[in-house]
Amino acid sequence: MVSERLKKVILKVLKLGDFDLQGSTKAFQVPGWDSLSHVSILSAIEKEYRIRFKISEVLSLNNLEDLQLLVNKKVENAV
Amino acid sequence: MSDFLPPLDKFMRKNLKRNAARSVWNIWEEHVEKHPHREAIVHWDALGEPFRWTYGSLLEAALRIAGILIRRNVMAGEVCAVIIRHNKYFYPIYMAITAIGAIPAVLAYPNARLHPDKFVHGLSGMARKSGLDWIITEREIGPIIEPLINAGKGKIKGVLFPLESIDSEKAAVKSDLDLIKRSRSEIDLDAPFLLQHSSGTTGLQKAVVLSHKAVLGHIKRYSRAIELSENDKVINWLPLYHDMGLIAAFHMPLIFGIPSIQIDPFQWVSAPGIFFQSISQEKATLTWLPNFAYDFMADRIPEEQMDKIDLSSMRMFINCSEVVRSESHKKFLRKFCNHGVKEQALASCYAMAETTFAVTQTEPGFLAKTLMVDRGALEEKIVQPPKKGWLKKVCVSSGKPISGCSLKIIDEGKIRLKSDQVGTVVIKSASLFDGYRNNPEKTKEALKNGWYFSGDIGFCHNGEYFIIGRKDDVIIVAGRNIFPEDIEDEVNKILGVIPGRVVAFGMENAETGTEDIHVIAETLLEDKDKKEGLKIAIKQVGMAIDVTISTVHLVQPRWLIKSSSGKLSRKANKERIFLPCRKIKGSDHGL
Repeated sequence: MVSERLKKVILKVLKLGDFDLQGSTKAFQVPGWDSLSHVSILSAIEKEYRIRFKISEVLSLNNLEDLQLLVNKKVENAV
Repeated sequence: MSDFLPPLDKFMRKNLKRNAARSVWNIWEEHVEKHPHREAIVHWDALGEPFRWTYGSLLEAALRIAGILIRRNVMAGEVCAVIIRHNKYFYPIYMAITAIGAIPAVLAYPNARLHPDKFVHGLSGMARKSGLDWIITEREIGPIIEPLINAGKGKIKGVLFPLESIDSEKAAVKSDLDLIKRSRSEIDLDAPFLLQHSSGTTGLQKAVVLSHKAVLGHIKRYSRAIELSENDKVINWLPLYHDMGLIAAFHMPLIFGIPSIQIDPFQWVSAPGIFFQSISQEKATLTWLPNFAYDFMADRIPEEQMDKIDLSSMRMFINCSEVVRSESHKKFLRKFCNHGVKEQALASCYAMAETTFAVTQTEPGFLAKTLMVDRGALEEKIVQPPKKGWLKKVCVSSGKPISGCSLKIIDEGKIRLKSDQVGTVVIKSASLFDGYRNNPEKTKEALKNGWYFSGDIGFCHNGEYFIIGRKDDVIIVAGRNIFPEDIEDEVNKILGVIPGRVVAFGMENAETGTEDIHVIAETLLEDKDKKEGLKIAIKQVGMAIDVTISTVHLVQPRWLIKSSSGKLSRKANKERIFLPCRKIKGSDHGL
């Protein structure tokens, strides 16, 4: 399950009005989400949630569900 | 000719003299004899410990793999395409091909975004045009490639998966070693050593074959221009199918006998901070980067990741393969000077696959020079200081010609221009290619009387060359050349787009330090939701050919402007879409 908040951040960076983002969605399936924009998306998420990703965490992501779980974990730990 | 070459140190003299009459393989063997335990390649993996190849272990592994190739009847002179992701065995596989006198050609592993049909189509085209005999790859893409052989398309003889058997393969026995040696015995210095592809989308790339002599000669000359010494350590995240990665960051250190650190390009682009971690830990000294990488790292590496990072070992960051931008250098320096990046380490060079690699290079130990010019005059092809209150542009030098290279700036009538006049760059080089493999038409266009017509636009000022753009419409994104017609062909097929009424072009993005791809397409659609859907569909066809379209502009029929020749003009339409007054009837550009 991908939260609306996370979807909004991603779609904004990719300049997409709307796109169906599911937990199983992989970056390469989303228009404009390439290797260069990947880092911009992660930076925007960090800013939105006031969290910081580690390099090893970034390199271990497989799909949007992984990203959502990582964000949830970081937000929980930050509280 | 370069007149600022430094005197050679003792180590270099010894190496270069030795290199004079040997094949590349012979030189690797000599390194093993002299210093088997010297580090050759550090294979970097951000998620684990780096794997460290010595010259001895690397060659031993290469001979083991050469045994596998010989037993599969791979012959000297045959082209072996290597399609393997970042893997510690990539290097000995590449060297094993050389060991038997075959010709390695590194190709990009298909990106997940690339549609399998497009990949196969591209590979089939390459097999036909470049003459690929064998594909050496990973099992995962075997099922996609194997039908090419069964269908008899091209002349691919087989697909090999050496990664599966390397670990169980025993050291090469004497009978294998004799066969390997015999296989390459006919190879002389003029024989093809490697095949690399110049710019273009997969399948349309032009193949450049380089001999042992061309590569060794080039490395000899270029290593002098950058004052390469045994104290150097090269660091690289560039893919090895790119000439800058392959020649400058892989072959040069390996031939010279110094270590290189090889980082996974995908890991770097996902987490660019690993590049600096690696420099800091390994005390690297030299690297080659496309311009966008300076902005990318300055913008995307958070300060938290820079804790205890020391970059003071780096003597040169060499900016190459895109137009060099002064602002990118400044941003990089501002961000990382507190971590040891020195202004004088910001160098640049001008290079291309057709000349093996470098043509010009800035002087080591000095910041690449800049020149502030009048932007309006530059558009009129004249270089002059900016007038008060007029628009300015800062151009960055790519340096002077390296030894063995000379350049001319010519006009449309092929007349040589003087200094400070803008024109097309043509090059003569001792390491020039003989022509594109199996492509006499393109060869004829590019090579004339021993001069290579680069298609780049630039000028000479005080003996230094400044490259400012392209003559044609080639789009350069993050160091990768993309032909707009490839994008237009795909977009034309989409339902909702008026066929033949599409243009694609590159637009400089000052923030990212590279170009964004824009597409303007005519459509009859008027419904807002349908138009949004069409924009996504256009971006998706870009993804299928591994191209990221940044912005789609949908316009009404007959909006696009034609040139006097009757073709759609990319330049005129680019100017029209970005007119200061953006309210053009029938256009929703900018949405």
